[in-house]
Amino acid sequence: MVCIRKATIDDLLEMQACNLLCLPENYQMKYFFYHILSWPHLLHVAEDYNGRIVGYVLAKMEEESSECKGHITSLAVLRTHRKLGLATKLMTAAQTAMEQVFGAEYVSLHVRKSNRAAFNLYTETLGYKIHDVEAKYYADGEDAYDMRKQLKGKQSHHHHHHHHGGGCCSGDPRPMGARPESKSEAKAGTKAESKTG
Amino acid sequence: MLAEGLLKKHVASHSLHEPEALIVYISILEQQARYGDALEILSGKLGSLLIIEVDKLRIQGRLLARSGDYATGADIYEKILELCPDDWECFLHYLGCLLEDGSSWSNGVHNDPINPQKSVDCKVSQLPDEVVHIYYPYILYVVCIFCCTCILLADLFMTFYADFDFCNLDVQFHSRISTSLAFVKKLQADTSDDFIRCPYLAILEIERRKQLHGKGNDDDIVEALMLYFLKFGHLASFSSDVEAFLQVLSPDKKTEFLAKLMKTLDSPATVPTKALGQSITIFKIQELTGNLYKLPVLELESCAVQMVKMYCKSLPLSKDLDPQESMHGEELLSMVCNVLVQLFWRTRHLGYFIEAIMVLEFGLTIRRYIWQYKILLLHLYSHLGVISLAYEWYKSLDMKNILMETVSHHILPQMLASPLWGDLNNLLKDYLKFMDDHFRESADLTFLAYRHRNYSKVIEFVQFKERLQRSNQYLVARVETSVLQLKQKADNIEEEEDVLKNLNSGVHFVELSNEIGSKTLTFNEDFHSRPWWTPTTEKNYLLGPFEGLSYCPKENLTKEREENVRRVVEKKSLLPRMIYLSIHSASASLKESVEENGSKSGSKISSELKFLLEHHAKMLGYSLSDAVEVVMGVSSGVKSFEAFGSDEIDWINFAVFLNAWNLNSHEPLQPDRDQCGRGIWHVVDTLLVKYISEKIKSMESLVCSPRVDLPILVQLVTEPLAWHGLVIQSCVRSSLPSGKKKKKGGSMDQHSSLVLNGVRDSIQSLCDILKEVAKWIRGQIDRPEDESVENILSSLRKKEQDEGPGRVFHVLESLIPSINEAEHGGRICQELKTWSALDVARKIVTGDSTLFSQFLNICESKIKSFQALKQQIAQI
Repeated sequence: MVCIRKATIDDLLEMQACNLLCLPENYQMKYFFYHILSWPHLLHVAEDYNGRIVGYVLAKMEEESSECKGHITSLAVLRTHRKLGLATKLMTAAQTAMEQVFGAEYVSLHVRKSNRAAFNLYTETLGYKIHDVEAKYYADGEDAYDMRKQLKGKQSHHHHHHHHGGGCCSGDPRPMGARPESKSEAKAGTKAESKTG
Repeated sequence: MLAEGLLKKHVASHSLHEPEALIVYISILEQQARYGDALEILSGKLGSLLIIEVDKLRIQGRLLARSGDYATGADIYEKILELCPDDWECFLHYLGCLLEDGSSWSNGVHNDPINPQKSVDCKVSQLPDEVVHIYYPYILYVVCIFCCTCILLADLFMTFYADFDFCNLDVQFHSRISTSLAFVKKLQADTSDDFIRCPYLAILEIERRKQLHGKGNDDDIVEALMLYFLKFGHLASFSSDVEAFLQVLSPDKKTEFLAKLMKTLDSPATVPTKALGQSITIFKIQELTGNLYKLPVLELESCAVQMVKMYCKSLPLSKDLDPQESMHGEELLSMVCNVLVQLFWRTRHLGYFIEAIMVLEFGLTIRRYIWQYKILLLHLYSHLGVISLAYEWYKSLDMKNILMETVSHHILPQMLASPLWGDLNNLLKDYLKFMDDHFRESADLTFLAYRHRNYSKVIEFVQFKERLQRSNQYLVARVETSVLQLKQKADNIEEEEDVLKNLNSGVHFVELSNEIGSKTLTFNEDFHSRPWWTPTTEKNYLLGPFEGLSYCPKENLTKEREENVRRVVEKKSLLPRMIYLSIHSASASLKESVEENGSKSGSKISSELKFLLEHHAKMLGYSLSDAVEVVMGVSSGVKSFEAFGSDEIDWINFAVFLNAWNLNSHEPLQPDRDQCGRGIWHVVDTLLVKYISEKIKSMESLVCSPRVDLPILVQLVTEPLAWHGLVIQSCVRSSLPSGKKKKKGGSMDQHSSLVLNGVRDSIQSLCDILKEVAKWIRGQIDRPEDESVENILSSLRKKEQDEGPGRVFHVLESLIPSINEAEHGGRICQELKTWSALDVARKIVTGDSTLFSQFLNICESKIKSFQALKQQIAQI
């Protein structure tokens, strides 16, 4: 009964509630808007039978890279709805859209070193591999694994050439410093993290 | 049409290149109900822009259904379900197509994602129409039969509807239901994934539809529920999955279902986590059906003991989990808390309430991230009157960003009536800053969506922004921020006047009060996480007597809330202006008598204040003269305080402003009494003194019963008493022999001296009552800590076999010695070593002290201000 569908702006209210309930860190609302207004195809929610949002994936395309790559910014599934394969479905939906809509060649994500459940999901179920270790990536000083997965790339990439400027998939440079990618910004508590169960 | 024309032109010259452009094109056609054209475009060359197959199929399905081509629509939805067998929404659309029920594609958009409408609600509400439609001829026939004069007419109707083919309808329904069943069974067979619930829950939905059409029965639903339980009963989502289906069962059938569930406990699942999950589900279903709360006190108590024992037993299952991971059986302690609060409501034994607090504090000692426990604790401490601890837990939830809009309802209303002004100020300031920042950044974000050619998101985003701009909470926060500033500066009239100046003398808020009736408000608060005893900010069952509430539904009370919010904003936004006018009315009364001929501005103030008083009285449900009667009646003791109902603060505010108006008015308050221009000081004083003393008396004993009167006492002191203090300050200032206010010849006329006598008496009685309050507060603060701690803990010291509060607590306490690293893991062991019920009791007492100290500061500042006035007035 869980419908994996593209997120709408109104879903934000419940997505942030999910974030609160699942993740120790939270991100600013404009960061969410930056994602959904730039790459609406990449945001998916898991909606339960009674219309409640029980999980979501927030993803984006890298704008400042010559390679065409996607990035999973945040993944969350409510504790009541864990062990149902929702995280896998959400991730697959985002990856498929990256591949098919934007022709992404690979996708990356960060995960806490201590988050075994998420690490297992990424490596065993979804086929991600450790690319690097980012020391003290999280606000609380914990290291992150920088993980990557190869995608099929440009085969069915249809329309990115109509966008202006930037890297392979970008529409425009990021707005208003809304993207807390750097460590210092992460320390300011705006960085989301990937977590699943 | 214009948009379509422009797009067509664009397509002809440049074609379309972005999926978003195609979606906009289709939506323009859809809005004109040109579904066929839209379908044609979708299946043509442009359709290839939608790369993800199911996205395209979903649009196709919707267009077909809306065009009335249900048969093809059903085929499309079948295709989607084959690709995504867990897509529940799609299944509902599929069923809708099969049964030709177009309700889910109607144009009426349900715009409340926070409180989504359950599908069962709309189906059931739609049923009467169907029934009326199908049985229309029969109903008419029966009506006609009963009307003797119309027998002929009745026969005529029967002839007219003779062709109505009920049998055919039956057959059609039956055949389509069979089709759906066969398809769902096929889906079940094709999906090997154990997580996919949709094809199994679909059976329940089909049974429900059968029942709604009078073709099914409760037994089939119970059987389907049991099958679903056997497959998914161990999942945390089970009870919310089946909630809607339970609602259609009769009470007897619900009991029967429960009995069947209980029977499964005889042979529990072999995997321990699965067995635990099933047991928890059974408790949840008992809670959901209301059966749990029908149990007698003793049995209910035993049930809580059973739950907490199960929790203790399940702890070893979580020994290897990360602290961030939720533990097995965590829901049990929330349920235990619910039961204990229910027991408190029934018996009024505070021990149960304290026990509920201990249970959750215990749970948070083991794992400190459980937000459900924190929210429950926040409400328990609020009800107990220890708002400082409630706020601590709220802060630990780290609510930020949009959550301030959706989640701050848990604490904001209580904080508004608390003496924790600094914390309240932060809460309001952070919230308003977030909202205002968002509105400021909106233009850039809209542009961002345009740049990425995400046109449909532009529309969504603008609508979302409007939704936030119309938020009821945003409005309330703006008004309350100003009221808070006025409260904080009320002891110094000059500083208060600065605040009022920044508020444009309250003029804008009066406009807001006048417009509030026509404003569209949005309610974005998420009430799902509120505990059963306070489903909305306005409701708290525990304040009233036990109602035998067997099922505590989270009703959708938006309409009721909307009226309440409008009323509150309407009243509160008059306050700044009324305070401003009262200050000026008081000074004008004395100046006028000094300046002999009176002033033009004085009469303008008087008439505006009278108008606002009339408005205020109307909001309290009275005319001005009747409201004056009520105030006089209560003050003289002819009427009891109950005449004020729950609007006591508003009534006393009314009396304060009435006095201020009367000072400068040439109209008598009551026709038979001559009270022109001298005020009704004694009436206001009596009301304040009587009411405050009554509240102190009701709270004599600390934590023996929740201090629900404390917020009222705080409000009395910080609102009506404070506003009255400003009227007094204004009178004294105008009477002082300084500068322009210097009096002619130094002698005082009779009017002024009468007014000043009233002021003198008022200062004295307010000073006295404030000293009483301060004394009472000191009494609370100075109470020996150990004595208070002992009071709290003594209600819990029971042996397990005894009845009454303490049994659950005993189970938890006896767990401690048996905790060991091998069985429970190092982390749990370590955390539990820090558990101390004594510390929790001490925390409650300290929290109480913090709260009282803040309140004492407020009172002492007021006493000081009144004493200074006393000295000043002595010099006049």
